[in-house]
Amino acid sequence: MKRALERALRARSGPMTDEMVLAPARFGLGRLPARLAPAGVVDSVCGYCSTGCSLKIHVDGGGQALNLSANPDYPVNAGMACPKGWEALAPLAAADRATTPLLRGADGRHEPVDWERALLVFCAKLKQIQARHGPQSVAFLSTGQIVTEEMALLGALAKFGLGIVHGDGNTRQCMATAVTAYKESFGFDAPPYTYADFEESDTIVLWGSNLCIAHPILWQRIARNRRGAEVIVVDPRVTETAQVASVHVPLRPKSDLVLAYGLARALIERDGVARDFVAAHTAGFDDFARFVGAFTPERVRAETGLDEELLQRLVRALGRGRRVSYWWTMGVNQSHEGTRLAQALINLSLMTGNIGRPGTGANSITGQCNAMGSRLFSNTTGLLGGRQFESPEHRGQVARVLGLDEARIPATSGWAYDQILEGVEQGRIKGLWVIATNPAHSWIQQERARRILAQLDFLVVQDMYVSTETAQAADLVLPAAGWGEKEGTFINSERRIGCVRKVARAPGAALSDFAIFKLIAHYWGVGDLFSRWSSPEAAFQILKELSRGQPCDFSGVRDYAHLEARGGIQWPWRADESARGEPAAERRLFADGVFPAAGGRARFRFDPPRPMPETPAGPYPLLLLTGRGSSAQWHTQTRTAKSPVLAKLYPKHAYVELHPADAARLGIRDGARVEVRSRRGAATARAKLTAALSPGQVFMPMHYPETNRLTLWCVDPFSRQPAYKACAVTVVPREPADRRAKVNDP
Amino acid sequence: MNSPVDHFLTEQGRLQTPVARFAAAAPDVQEGFAQMIPLSVPLPGRQYAFEVDLDACTGCKACVAACHALNGLDEHETWRDIGVISGACGDEAFVQTVTTACHHCADPGCLNGCPVLAYEKDAVTGIVLHLDDQCIGCSYCILKCPYDVPKFNPRRGIVRKCDLCSGRLAHGEAPACVQACPTHAIRITTVAAGADSDCADFIAGAPDPAHTRPSTRYVTARVGLTWQDSAAGDAPAPESAHWPLAVMTTLVGMGTGCTAAAGFGPPALPRAELWLAGAAAGGIGLLASVAHLGRPLRAWRIFLGLRRSWMSREALLLALWAAAALAISGTLRVHDVARSWQWAAAAIGIAGLYSSAMIYIDTPRPAWAWRHTAPRFFGGAWVLAAAVVAAAAPAAARTAAIHCGAALAAKLAAELALLRPRAGVDNPWLRRSARLLLGPLRRLLAARIAGALAGAVLLAAAPQGLRIAGLALVALGEGLERILFFRCAAAPRMPGVAPA
Repeated sequence: MKRALERALRARSGPMTDEMVLAPARFGLGRLPARLAPAGVVDSVCGYCSTGCSLKIHVDGGGQALNLSANPDYPVNAGMACPKGWEALAPLAAADRATTPLLRGADGRHEPVDWERALLVFCAKLKQIQARHGPQSVAFLSTGQIVTEEMALLGALAKFGLGIVHGDGNTRQCMATAVTAYKESFGFDAPPYTYADFEESDTIVLWGSNLCIAHPILWQRIARNRRGAEVIVVDPRVTETAQVASVHVPLRPKSDLVLAYGLARALIERDGVARDFVAAHTAGFDDFARFVGAFTPERVRAETGLDEELLQRLVRALGRGRRVSYWWTMGVNQSHEGTRLAQALINLSLMTGNIGRPGTGANSITGQCNAMGSRLFSNTTGLLGGRQFESPEHRGQVARVLGLDEARIPATSGWAYDQILEGVEQGRIKGLWVIATNPAHSWIQQERARRILAQLDFLVVQDMYVSTETAQAADLVLPAAGWGEKEGTFINSERRIGCVRKVARAPGAALSDFAIFKLIAHYWGVGDLFSRWSSPEAAFQILKELSRGQPCDFSGVRDYAHLEARGGIQWPWRADESARGEPAAERRLFADGVFPAAGGRARFRFDPPRPMPETPAGPYPLLLLTGRGSSAQWHTQTRTAKSPVLAKLYPKHAYVELHPADAARLGIRDGARVEVRSRRGAATARAKLTAALSPGQVFMPMHYPETNRLTLWCVDPFSRQPAYKACAVTVVPREPADRRAKVNDP
Repeated sequence: MNSPVDHFLTEQGRLQTPVARFAAAAPDVQEGFAQMIPLSVPLPGRQYAFEVDLDACTGCKACVAACHALNGLDEHETWRDIGVISGACGDEAFVQTVTTACHHCADPGCLNGCPVLAYEKDAVTGIVLHLDDQCIGCSYCILKCPYDVPKFNPRRGIVRKCDLCSGRLAHGEAPACVQACPTHAIRITTVAAGADSDCADFIAGAPDPAHTRPSTRYVTARVGLTWQDSAAGDAPAPESAHWPLAVMTTLVGMGTGCTAAAGFGPPALPRAELWLAGAAAGGIGLLASVAHLGRPLRAWRIFLGLRRSWMSREALLLALWAAAALAISGTLRVHDVARSWQWAAAAIGIAGLYSSAMIYIDTPRPAWAWRHTAPRFFGGAWVLAAAVVAAAAPAAARTAAIHCGAALAAKLAAELALLRPRAGVDNPWLRRSARLLLGPLRRLLAARIAGALAGAVLLAAAPQGLRIAGLALVALGEGLERILFFRCAAAPRMPGVAPA
């Protein structure tokens, strides 16, 4: 009786309860809500960062994505993903997707047009500009976010088909420094490591890398380290990573080069040099040793602000470690002397023989999901397959593989990103084609960058979204399919080639970038040149041929199915190796000490440090540092902002971190609205007080459009990568008398 | 294919089906998390609990997104929250991410407040379960939880929350957040349950754990952690206005005030009009309250929680009172209704009003403590009843206007006490209330004061015909007061968690 009453009065089951009930799903997925039970799973490499995690996309019977989870069987991420990966499908459904080509009408508004008209206008306008102002007057800006097959087709089409002279990618903003450093030091852009090196090291140096936030899944690999590794973090801020490190080295911003040279000197002094390795496999060590003689401990202390005890501890750790690995990210790359700094870390690894063995290496952690694909195949400032435009031999190889007249291949490399924008500013470039990137938000000194874009006669933006700051400024918008709506491959930080799969239909008339490039080739009248690029997978076979004989040779990879079956394959994997078996899951470079440089020797490269380009003083007494805000945000937020779940994981509005001592001096309370000003612009933000910075420094995350209003137009002279992380600013309260000051906080 | 554009558009629309591509069988077992969950169900006297290793958490927040994906939550729905706090450990600055979901408390506020018994604490596992098909969507559990755990789901009109992935744990699978943590910072453990539960070292900066005795264990090897008052830092956002509740509590105050005046007041008062006004205000108020329910058709169960829930008590008492008031005012000659009946009806109204106030007083929101809530609810009843008399009965108008003005002055003083939290005494959420009132809510506050003053002046000095406008202004001011009551009541949250 009582039970019957209880049953009548308390509804323990019903449609709402059923909705959440978990049932065993197949495919090793454990339990999932029954209504989301997949009919199959598709493995696809994530389209955000270069870690290259594999996601298991749960699909319905029609092959449409329902949900996803992290892939437990992939060597990179072993069943984990960061929030961006977990939410990878959400941005595809956003309301501001570009669904049709848009053409700016006479009234200045974007009008929908069909593809035929868009393509005719694209070709007519750009041809007209080229005819009037010469072939160099049209340029393109590409990306590290599209698949390698698309990147290569774009580069080949633009340079060999459309006769475009200058093209670059947004990888200039993240990886150019590492590329230049590796090329000069090793002879090829070859990050030597595999992620297992995180687990195999006994001493891990993270230099300018907030790994926990920027690459959370790589921190997972450190957490699995089996040698009780000492983790040393070199960063001016007490980042999340610095907090969990064994040693934090809070050097003064941009004193990195002095510290690195000082460490080299100290290691030489305490006989920490691997003489045999240096003699057998490197060149230029003696000059380097003489050069670093000037970096005495006194000088290092004075310029870095570090104390003797910490420096000694650092030297001891680097000298004592049997397996020391050096890892760097944007704190190194985005610097006015980034190339030399990256090479200073390479030098440390070479001189101590910490390369080519498990747990060692001078290792650049890449930013974007396909930065490495871009580095090898974007055909922008380097010729396809990691080659050089200047080399007749290289041009001949490419012409043969592509079946092209060699004369179509330019004999000079084009301009870098900053030079292209300056070319627009000087009136030398009149037409610009921007693919999957957002310079109106992401480029330094934003107001100038936007002014430059406005100067163009014709701006084409090819993007997933109509709402990006750059698409808003476009004369023609080409709607692109996004990650998950097309096929291809990415190459991650550790050189692993992995597949990206199509699991969703693109909205409206949006097309994959591959299809758009094919259509442009057709309408331009050069379709025949690219007839062999019939599909992404056909293009992959061309890429294999392009890689043949290069240090990045992956001619031994059979096809996408092979990549899928092996959990991705790292380059190199040559055809002759494949004849002997299958690649191991984790492989590193230079085990034999032979480098792809002249004489097989790696080279010590160095230069005297230079002062940062804008030192805080006078009306701008504070130094602005920039960087990643949270693991739930990505670049200019064109995609991550579309996920309501991710939006809960970071502050909605721009904020600036300030040291409490500076804040007290400036009369700024925690949470107050402030204005951050530099010589180039002003940004409003909320003040966030934290002792994680030193006095005199402020920090703003890069994801908010406000930040680059302040940054300085300054690039590394070798890599031409912008120096985002140091410029002089001041902070002033926005609300003259903060009302909340009246509330008596204790 | 007629044109290349058509060819590519067709190609773009084509998906490969799983059957076509994925014939390979995948293993059905899920491995690797056995060490992250207990081997068996908790022993008697113990319950399951989350254990969060604060030192291992690096702030990637994958737990939030994985919980969302693996539990199939709605687009905007998350069952895990993230707090980020800056602080110091000795001389070292640090930023700590605090991941937090339901704490499956030993004495759950949600369960104690639910008027329809839609919560239960599992006798074996100690998991606080929510019965989705029982829930009427009143959201009272959201107000009752000190940790802002239950979340309203607008699509379903009910509240939903973390159930510790009970469906996974029951089959030896790890909860979604545990599966997704790259550094294994979240695990499931067992802790003492019931009266033996110990929550003394919950986590610094959290609402007082003695209230509900949360089971989650936050573990750190660091000693001497201190952090900034997280509620002071971010820009304060007002809480929801709960307008049906604002309308309801204002009108019910007015109605019960009127019937109390009719029941207990001097004979000079216009009893018939007061009963009528009381019944009308009560009726409209109760109707408005239905708009606050996500699932009003299930509300007939509201009596189930009588033993514990002030909301059940309020609903029953006010329904009884409204019916009595309607009956009395419907009687053509009110004076014929026995005084004892009138007293009884008026007394039930006051008890209903008391229950109504207790609904809020019985939550962990400091802005709703007795000293802030009682003056508003009882003072409001007094003010509005006096205003009705002043507007409706010329004979008693003068005295009533004085009553109204005096009560308003006392009430305003009590309301404005929120602006001056006492340093060191009042907790951060009370300070946040003050910041809200002086910040984003300052215009509303000004309008509330203006309404009260203008209304009181009109009632006292205007000719009889205009006094009805005075009543309207006073009532408007009281309505605004109630909206402020809801909007400024900063909800306690876990350290560093920003309001949604």
